[in-house]
Amino acid sequence: MNYRSIFFILGCILTIEGVFLILPMITALIYGEEQVFAFLISIFICLAVGCVLILLKPEKLVFNVKEGFATVALGWILLSLFGCFPFFLSGDIPDFTNAFFETVSGFSTTGASILSDVEAVSRGCLFWRSFTHWIGGMGVLVFLLAVIPLVAKGQSQGGHMHLMRAESPGPVVGKLVPKVRSTAVILYIIYLVLTLLEFILLIICRMPVYEALLTAMGNAGTGGLGIKNDSMASYSPAIQWITTLFMFTFGINFSVFFLILMGKFRDIFKIGEVRCYFIMFFAAVTIITINSYDKLLSFEENLRQVCFQVASMISTTGFSTVDFDKWPSASKGILILLMFSGACAGSTSGGIKVSRFIIMFKSAKNQLISFLHPGTVRKIKVDNKTVDDNVLRSVNVFFIVYAITLAASVFVISFDNYDFETNFTAVLASLSNIGPGLSKVGPSQNYAFLSPLSKYVLMFDMIAGRLELYPILLLFYYKMWRERIIPKKADSSNNLSASI
Amino acid sequence: MSFLDRFTKNNRKELNIIIVGCGKVGTTLIRRLSEEGHNVTFIDMNRIVVDKISDMYDVMGVVGNGSSYKVQMEAGIEHADLFIAVTESDELNLLCCTVAKKVGDCASIARVRNPVYSDEQPYLREKLGLSMIINPELEAAREISRILRLPAALSTSSFAKGQAEMIRFQIPEGSPLDKKVLFQLQKEFDFKFLICTVERGGDMVIPNGDYRLQSGDIITIVATARNAYFLFRKVGLVKKRVSNAIIIGGGRTCYYLSKQLSDMGISVKVIENNPERCEELSELLDNTLVIHGDGTDENLLIREGLENADAFVPLTGIDEENILLTLYAKRVTNAKVVTKVNRINFKSVINSLELGSVIHPRLLISEMILTYVRGMRNSMNSDNIEALYHWFEDRVEAIEFRIKGDSAVIDIPLCKLKLKKGVLVGCISRDGKIIIPKGQDYITKGDSVMIVTTHTGFQNITDILA
Repeated sequence: MNYRSIFFILGCILTIEGVFLILPMITALIYGEEQVFAFLISIFICLAVGCVLILLKPEKLVFNVKEGFATVALGWILLSLFGCFPFFLSGDIPDFTNAFFETVSGFSTTGASILSDVEAVSRGCLFWRSFTHWIGGMGVLVFLLAVIPLVAKGQSQGGHMHLMRAESPGPVVGKLVPKVRSTAVILYIIYLVLTLLEFILLIICRMPVYEALLTAMGNAGTGGLGIKNDSMASYSPAIQWITTLFMFTFGINFSVFFLILMGKFRDIFKIGEVRCYFIMFFAAVTIITINSYDKLLSFEENLRQVCFQVASMISTTGFSTVDFDKWPSASKGILILLMFSGACAGSTSGGIKVSRFIIMFKSAKNQLISFLHPGTVRKIKVDNKTVDDNVLRSVNVFFIVYAITLAASVFVISFDNYDFETNFTAVLASLSNIGPGLSKVGPSQNYAFLSPLSKYVLMFDMIAGRLELYPILLLFYYKMWRERIIPKKADSSNNLSASI
Repeated sequence: MSFLDRFTKNNRKELNIIIVGCGKVGTTLIRRLSEEGHNVTFIDMNRIVVDKISDMYDVMGVVGNGSSYKVQMEAGIEHADLFIAVTESDELNLLCCTVAKKVGDCASIARVRNPVYSDEQPYLREKLGLSMIINPELEAAREISRILRLPAALSTSSFAKGQAEMIRFQIPEGSPLDKKVLFQLQKEFDFKFLICTVERGGDMVIPNGDYRLQSGDIITIVATARNAYFLFRKVGLVKKRVSNAIIIGGGRTCYYLSKQLSDMGISVKVIENNPERCEELSELLDNTLVIHGDGTDENLLIREGLENADAFVPLTGIDEENILLTLYAKRVTNAKVVTKVNRINFKSVINSLELGSVIHPRLLISEMILTYVRGMRNSMNSDNIEALYHWFEDRVEAIEFRIKGDSAVIDIPLCKLKLKKGVLVGCISRDGKIIIPKGQDYITKGDSVMIVTTHTGFQNITDILA
């Protein structure tokens, strides 16, 4: 483990956070709020700690798999820790645990809140809350890779992939173009353009600029921290439809948008995961509409509410326009299933991901067939490509680890003595980065009533869910911290080609 | 025009390169090219290798057969600038490049090592539309014979399609070059060569006519192979002519090397332990003595006159054997020894053994391809740069320009052209002949001109004018 390389990246992350914090400060300035000073202090702390860590820069940055995992896990924890200062210092959320919870929920794009009266919070802090969604959605390390050349030109940059892989969701993380840095830039451009598009459309539908910006950011990261006490319920149908559309859009694999940009429209529907995602969405909408049809409302209203809720759950955003806790239990069951699945790999959403489910279903089918025909050799194929055994194993293990984490968290939380539905959906909504669950943590409720212990467990689940479990779990594996592999000098094996 | 093109258009310093095959050469190329900042995608059949390499370097891997249209599309052949095929099989490489040429219309380089094809290289290149065909064994043999011919040279490289050579050496004490002004030299020596650069005390200059040489200077000359040899004799760097050589191991490199050495009038003995290969070699090589036996047998080596040999070249397929043979030869004889080492790991260990001249075929050809790529990169905006060489830690560039049309420099005697400081016209290749230019010579349409310069970023031949 090469600590100094890790510290250097952590320093970069904090510096970037300091720079990001300038935006909410400007917002606070515009609205003439006294919380400006809370932001100033936070920025100072971030930059100071960040710069100190950067100054410790080692001669040579070493990034192997281990460093990649450790950096990502620690980076996210630090990011949330320093990100909660504005809430805490400004007095908007006076309790530290609550402020931390809110920030973790923001960065992990969960959208679970402890605020009972959102509208009372200062506008600067609300901006920061939604902005954390935007940063967390695509990932801060991906941003780092896009803007900072971590390794000087002419050196091997293989290590970058370890960082990107540890942060990006999905069973197989690939690149769009040969270079990690170009890939990161392209991803952020797509992300930014889509966010702006939503922002503009919302403004056209007469949403106030401030609210449109916050909604667009919260939506892009599939976060879902609302800025109104009733989330999105009081907005006009047009705004709700647009939000629905974009929640669904941000759940699509970003390589689809890349294909669109490349002009390869035909290839889009060849991606099995995207097809499956569409099918799941429309199936869920159909069943729930029939199941929960409210005769008092018009068909459009019924459809809009169902579409909104389904898009919100499948993309793990967590906005709501209706209290779906009051829906019939079959509808709630479907929503819970969607909470598990999440949307596509390579999107900003959480959950287990559709592609993992595809692989798991196919492997289950293969296993069943092999009972009938012992000795069968059947490879699993996705999009006409054979799934590597390693990938298959890691998908299966992911599911098991997910289930264990879920069960363990539910167990710890149940000591608070609330009903099972509350405990289970609170953990599931955190682990899948959704936000609202059912019963006491339903869309019209919040998480403030839970004990501090439960809150920390949920925070753990949120970050673990965002980073897809492994980086966070590996933090607790002591052997990861033991070995140190540091090249003594600019070793000769790297200068092979200096002369012939 | 698609998004990706636009995205990469701003900085056309980065080429989109596809490499097929991740053997030794492939991996070296992937590493070097990605480190030079190019967008590298590679194709290999072996998933494990692909995973490993895409973890190590900032490149993208595709699993599949590189000659398949589908796989090439997946690797982004439409946007590729250069396609390099370095798989094990010659035929696959040629097929890959042919398909790539048709699909992507990009420059392509194929590694072709079978001697059968190597004789037909120009024909193949033209008919299949390849930019370059490289043969590692042939290049290794060329390099070895150069070293044997001019043992005192610090480094050599060839350009103008191998017709001219750049040779770097140190002027010895009491040599006729000592304390000479350059313009005197041309009168004194009746054959043509040109001094391109002089290094003295760490400084590097491109000298003009009244520059005075000193012993101890490290100079670089451009000349034809023959004239370079004459110069070395005159300057006193060649003490004894190599007249006989022993080669151990009868592989392809041996075949090319024996042929080249025989052509230079050196008598060659080849020791090979596979009887069938011995028979093949004796059919292929006329003036060479092929001996069947174990090349690592000390008695055999002594019996065949190792102690009196002028040159000894172990070319077996096993690095350790080659190194041992060299160490042994160093003990028993004063022969010039050139060792072939395939592996490039542990280079520092190999260097510390003081083996003398060591050649790494793999590095040789990756260097050749890199030279080509650099030329391509510099000529992205002008299509008249043929090749670009970086010499001496990039302090000097040598650029080969192709003069296609009218230009401000043509048909004017060189002494009347006003050149920038630090610019030298190194050689002119006209109708397949090499001209080492003097003041009265001129550049004309259709020439290929090599410019040596300390400037960087020349795009056009007119850039040499002040």
